[in-house]
Parts: sequence; structure tokens; C-alpha cells
Amino acid sequence: MMHELFATPMGALFTIFGVMSLIGALAMVFSKNAVHSVIGFLFTMLSIAACYLCMEAEFLAMAQVLVYAGGIVVLFLFVVMLVELSKRKDGRANDRGAMAVVLPLVALLAAAFGAVFGGICFARGADQALNLPPDLAQGMDVAGHNAQAISRGLFAGYLLPFEILSVILLVALVGAVVLAKTERV
Amino acid sequence: MPSPNFALVLSFLLFSIGILGVLIRRNALIILMCVELMLNAANLNLIAFARHSGTVGGQAFALLVMGLAAAEVAIGLALVVALYRRKETVRVDEIDLLKG
Repeated sequence: MMHELFATPMGALFTIFGVMSLIGALAMVFSKNAVHSVIGFLFTMLSIAACYLCMEAEFLAMAQVLVYAGGIVVLFLFVVMLVELSKRKDGRANDRGAMAVVLPLVALLAAAFGAVFGGICFARGADQALNLPPDLAQGMDVAGHNAQAISRGLFAGYLLPFEILSVILLVALVGAVVLAKTERV
Repeated sequence: MPSPNFALVLSFLLFSIGILGVLIRRNALIILMCVELMLNAANLNLIAFARHSGTVGGQAFALLVMGLAAAEVAIGLALVVALYRRKETVRVDEIDLLKG
């Protein structure tokens, strides 16, 4: 079982990101602070997007990142800030300790990313035309075809659900405004 | 390539964690997040089967589920905000307007 999991690079990546998504989900459920829960949620969603990528669903992985990390997590953070922090003012005790832990981590991550991107951007021949190795080029080709295939499936086979979803989104938009607006200003 | 079984196991575990969160947490926001997690677990299943069967219907449907999840979050958060205005709390065990 285990050796089959790590038999291919994609399988290994899928396993790693799957475990990361589980860790994020557990952190989301068990953390005391709601902001930490939202961060666990974000971690889970990004890991699931990576899992989609391992399952050759490139378009959906990008959609997952845009919709969840870009929209839903921000919405959750807004409401958590609005609702949670207004009544709890006494959480200042261990700010300094958290800072001492977080700052070196952020510095380390930034250094790692900087090294990687610097290595890519300033390497010899970085300004020359992109010349992908054949397997990577084929991967990009599959990605292009993935979006095409999804759009064909969506607009040919599932047009009615798609239109119904657009109406549902409109209703949700109006409903959210009506529910959340202040009473008769 | 991972076989669909692994995706199914992962999806099962994520769904279980989502249910666990809905059951044990009393913060309405975290319950909403757990519902989102369950929808994502279902999406994982859809995509795994789409890849296994070599058709694109599962992926198209996962996209629809994603849109539905976004609508659900908007409504849910609006409800939470309205509730907070009325009761000054988001703990679901303190919301007993219908208790009589």
C-alpha cells in the first residue's frame, strides 16, 4: 500500500498534499482562535488545490485557488474580525512570544522563496526564449486542453445546471445584501 | 498517478473532519467552514472519478459545486452578521429564539 503511494512522482505529491490538507483541517477544527481556524482553512484549500493539480484537473485547481483563497477566506476573515475581536480585548499577553516565533519563520520562508525565484530570474540565460523540456511542454498542452474540455462539457452537456447556478448566484447576492444590511437607516 | 482509491480515502477523511467540526464546535463561523470542507471533500471525489473514467463531466460538475459553495458562504455569513446584530453572539448554543 505505502510503496504504491510513492510509486510515481504525482502519487507522492498527492500523498504529501493530502496529508497537508488533513493537518490544515485538523488545525481548523481544533484551534481556539477563530482567526487561526481561518488560516487552517486557507491551508487546507490550497493543499486541496494542489491535489487537484496532481489529478490532472488544472483548471479546477486554479479555480479553487481563486474562489477559496481569493474570495471565501477573505470573506470569512472580514466576518471573524467584525464579530470575534469586538468582545475580546484581553488577548495581548503572548503577542511578543508569537512574534518571536513567527518572524524567523517568515524570514526563513522569504529567504527560501527569494533563493528559488532569484535563481530562476537571474540565472544565466533567463532572458532567452522559453525552451521547455518535452514532458513539461506536454503538461502545459494538457492544461490548455483541460480548460477546453471542461468548457465543452460545461456548455454542451451541462448548460441547464450552469444557467440555474447563475440564477442561484444572483439570488444569493441579493439575499446576502438584504440579510446583512442595517435596519432602516 | 495516484489511483482513485487514495483520493477516496482522503476525501473520506476530510469529510469526517468536517462532520466532526460541525458536531463539536459551537462557533457558527467555524461550522460554516466545516460545511465548506465537506463540499470540498465531495469535489475531490468528483474529480477522482472524472479522472478514473476519463470523462470531463465530473470536473464540470465540481466547478458547479464550487459556485454553489460560494453562494452558500455569502448567505451563511450574511446570516451570521444579522444574528450577531440581534443577539451579540455567534455561539450556536446561545441562539435559542425558537425555544419558547
